[in-house]
Amino acid sequence: MVDIAQESFVATSLFFTHVKSDQERAAREWKQTFVDVERDLNYCYRRVMNATTVSQIQSKLWIIEELNNLNIKPDCVALLGGWYGNFLVQLLIDEYDTFLIHNFEIDEDVKTISYKFNKRHKDRKKYKCDILDVMFKTIYEKQSKNGKKFDTIINTSCEHMFHMKRFVDLNGYGLSKPTYVLQSTNSNRYDDHINCVRSAEVLAEQSGLENILYCGSKRLHDDMKRFMVIGD
Amino acid sequence: MQNTIVCIKWGNKYDDSYVEKLKEQCENNCSVPFDFYCLTDNPTKDYHVKLPIYLDDHYDEERGFFWAWRKIYMFSELVDGEQFLFLDLDVIIHQDLKYFFDLPMGKPYIVRGWWNDPHKVKLNYSRLKSTPLNSSVIRWDREQLKPVVKDVRKNAEVIFFTYPSLDNYFNHRWYNIWNEEDSFFRGFPQGDIYSWYKGNIFPDDMDLETLRKDHKICLFNNSTHVEGVNTEEIKKLW
Repeated sequence: MVDIAQESFVATSLFFTHVKSDQERAAREWKQTFVDVERDLNYCYRRVMNATTVSQIQSKLWIIEELNNLNIKPDCVALLGGWYGNFLVQLLIDEYDTFLIHNFEIDEDVKTISYKFNKRHKDRKKYKCDILDVMFKTIYEKQSKNGKKFDTIINTSCEHMFHMKRFVDLNGYGLSKPTYVLQSTNSNRYDDHINCVRSAEVLAEQSGLENILYCGSKRLHDDMKRFMVIGD
Repeated sequence: MQNTIVCIKWGNKYDDSYVEKLKEQCENNCSVPFDFYCLTDNPTKDYHVKLPIYLDDHYDEERGFFWAWRKIYMFSELVDGEQFLFLDLDVIIHQDLKYFFDLPMGKPYIVRGWWNDPHKVKLNYSRLKSTPLNSSVIRWDREQLKPVVKDVRKNAEVIFFTYPSLDNYFNHRWYNIWNEEDSFFRGFPQGDIYSWYKGNIFPDDMDLETLRKDHKICLFNNSTHVEGVNTEEIKKLW
């Protein structure tokens, strides 16, 4: 039986084999994050390790793989419920030199910790996090007035919230037809999985997206079945 | 100012004796004039008011989420009054309820469960668990909770789908555990209200099933909506 600390160690090692830029600084900040969380936000420590698992990085690498297959290069990304952004932010910036990744979360501690993991990207204004419930408030006003608009919306937490169609309708014409990358699961082993789906097709249906570019599933390291839909 | 005490009874979880006992407790423990109403799905007495049903279709019995939604109805001005105090049927009143009508009302009040470990509350925030709020006692002035009614009506589909309980909804939409000053609701101060099953103030005063008569109200709410469960113990203390 592998405990969570060992699992996090393995996932971190795997992650750093994929980090292409500023490895040393990334490693320093990751280490400091664990030190700071253990000292100042100890009650979150185990949760941070839960976010640092092999399955977590597998599901994020899957995004990169399928975006590459579709030749989609995200530049300005809205991350919905992106948790600590510990894996995905770095992977997107390394792969696409992404201009901005804007995480919308509901948990203040998540925001604090995500800034620790991604300090280098925050300092370069490539990563930011706002507290906002995307099922009730629009995000389009958060786009730069004269600058880039969100071209990609990534939600790897669809099982934690209402159907994505709600978000799509809420933001309506405020967004200029971005690509959506959505992930969910059929695993109802956690209470907070309030919106499990039985297939990628159901996930696509819940999104109301007209043009589905990718629709697939993957069995992850923790034996959880994960679904992904990419569309616009 | 016209004071109004409201309770709600629906279904069969509690029988009429709970309403009558609550009314009697209010009469024995409130030194200012008040009107008493019970909002119910089955009105039979002069102080009964029929509960509306306009949200009922949103409730999914199988999921059981947002199961205490009927409490929302009481915020939509169903009865006369300027200063409102809601009490669950399973409370024990220890002290003069005048205290609640004298509170400064810049914001409405709800029970902040001081017995909760604040770290656990924050940790479980996004997991929709360990809510620090408890809607067993709510104090508001007329019109003050209209935004809540408006929010539920406007977003009913999402709210009934997302929040396991009403208290959880309040915690997410109308409270900020990281900064209470920034919240719509204010929690009743420590020392006002405690829980029979959960304690008083974490971590120092957590004795369970202990009466604290220097407090105003004891709650029996045990976060279950299963009819017939744990509704009898309070009767021993009436």
